[in-house]
Amino acid sequence: MEAPITKETLERLARLSRIESDPEKSAKILADLRRIFEHFEELKAVPTDAVAPVVGGSFNENVFRSDDPKINFPERDFTPWFPESHGTLLCVPPVFEENEESV
Amino acid sequence: MKPELTNIRAFREGLLRKDFSAEEAAKECFKRIKADKEVNAFLSLDERDALRAASEVDEMIARGEKTDMLAGVPMGLKDNILVRGKRTTAGSKMLAGYAGGYDATVVEKLKRSRAVILGKTNLDEFAMGSSTENSAFQKTANPHDPERVPGGSSGGSAAAVAGGFALGALGSDTGGSIRQPAAFCGVSGLKPTYGSVSRSGLIALASSLDQIGPFARTVEDAAIIFDAIRGHDELDSTSVSGEYGPAAAYDAERVRSLTLGVPKEYFGEGIDPDVAAAVRSAIGVFEKKGFSVKEISLPHSKYALSCYYIILPAEVSTNLARFDGIRYGRNSEENSLWKIYEETRGKGFGDEVKRRMLLGTFVLSAGYYDAYYAKAQKVRRLIVRDFEKVFDGNSGGVDAILAPVTPTRAFKIGEKTSDPLTMYLSDIFTIPVNLASLPALSLPVKEYALGGGELPIGFQIIGKPFCEKDILGLGMWYEKETR
Repeated sequence: MEAPITKETLERLARLSRIESDPEKSAKILADLRRIFEHFEELKAVPTDAVAPVVGGSFNENVFRSDDPKINFPERDFTPWFPESHGTLLCVPPVFEENEESV
Repeated sequence: MKPELTNIRAFREGLLRKDFSAEEAAKECFKRIKADKEVNAFLSLDERDALRAASEVDEMIARGEKTDMLAGVPMGLKDNILVRGKRTTAGSKMLAGYAGGYDATVVEKLKRSRAVILGKTNLDEFAMGSSTENSAFQKTANPHDPERVPGGSSGGSAAAVAGGFALGALGSDTGGSIRQPAAFCGVSGLKPTYGSVSRSGLIALASSLDQIGPFARTVEDAAIIFDAIRGHDELDSTSVSGEYGPAAAYDAERVRSLTLGVPKEYFGEGIDPDVAAAVRSAIGVFEKKGFSVKEISLPHSKYALSCYYIILPAEVSTNLARFDGIRYGRNSEENSLWKIYEETRGKGFGDEVKRRMLLGTFVLSAGYYDAYYAKAQKVRRLIVRDFEKVFDGNSGGVDAILAPVTPTRAFKIGEKTSDPLTMYLSDIFTIPVNLASLPALSLPVKEYALGGGELPIGFQIIGKPFCEKDILGLGMWYEKETR
């Protein structure tokens, strides 16, 4: 987890962040960032292979519908709209006329 | 009679007895703020609207109408909370000419309660800092010693309450920005559970961590303000709809039944001996009065600082992308869009903000995302689990945790500005609470009189999610025992 924070990396980060860099302050920023990344090294020692990351801080939970196929309209009302079928599948009639030119 | 500005209950009693008017109280606060040459808690004042609001409260009382607990209470607002039509700078040159387009939900609620908003208080730029020295406009001093910092980032709000310039204030706490300045200034500060107070209208720092909360002179006052601002809000998708009764209603029986834990890791290396002794002494008050207090362990809390300074800058680098000179911020004279962005952001942001944006951009970049950002979010999960384990009632868990807020007393202005890592370490005891989205109350170990020559020390009571009533109850009990 070594962070290769070099002068070039810093210039690239400044471009990505859309921040005009100040050459007079670059050396200090570089030294500060290197020291901060040294501190982050302690995280390497923490085993996290089977740990799920936190996403957001909220106690609210997403409620997902179960992914079960179901027919949610009465077959008899709609089958006349689909004159052709293959087993339990209905063919959607073409939307465009056959001789209609594509735009 | 001179307005009573010691606590909200006494203020209200005096107001209803007509010992003084709300307008007189507001005028007294403005007089003190203008006479002050040392603390500099406020960035801007709103005298006209404040006096009008105070006068309306006086008219309501004269007509015998029912008023809320906060009616007429003079309050300050951290300057990262929007008020419609009023200057809101977030302590940054970037927003020097910006006025809020709408009222934050908490402001709407305060206005509905008829609180009197005196003005906006100073803060570290975009709430990034632990001393309020990063404000682009002015430095705020600690009312107990003007050579020392008030803490940060909500240092202006803490100093406004401690200095007697306001009876209450709102701040925001992302990694300790309410609790740390409350401890340094000797006042009460509550960081509510994530989701209990709407963040709509708060200028975002780190959206998964930010939370608005009160500063007050007493714990009961903090509870009264919290009751006024909390609740579900459709404008904040992370706000929670559960109801849990008024936090300010003290329940002695419930409070006495609570089991307390003391994390051994919070008293190790890095904490000043006199701070540790003062916090131990506060814990001793609970023990002597028969509370069940036991040692607990939060083994991953030691990694909280590293996690926080990866996760927070990552969120900062995205949240602050909008300040580009086009949507928000100062304009540049450059013709190229690219140059407008770079010049506006280069000149508009201060050094600490830039440092965190560069850091955040790096940890989110391809090749480093998993090693830093994803890793930090996994270690954050371990920190959350530590708290879940100690709070688990099925395995002899505790109901609340007692711990120090800061490793030191307030430090001298300028003492840590050249060394960001040392400054970051000021928040070592407050950050785990934000990472786990928990509520925590900071309160002074004893009453500190202004001019008493002593720098305050605080301790925090950390609670289970949405159990603000428990920690505020414990705080109220402690105040009754020790004052």
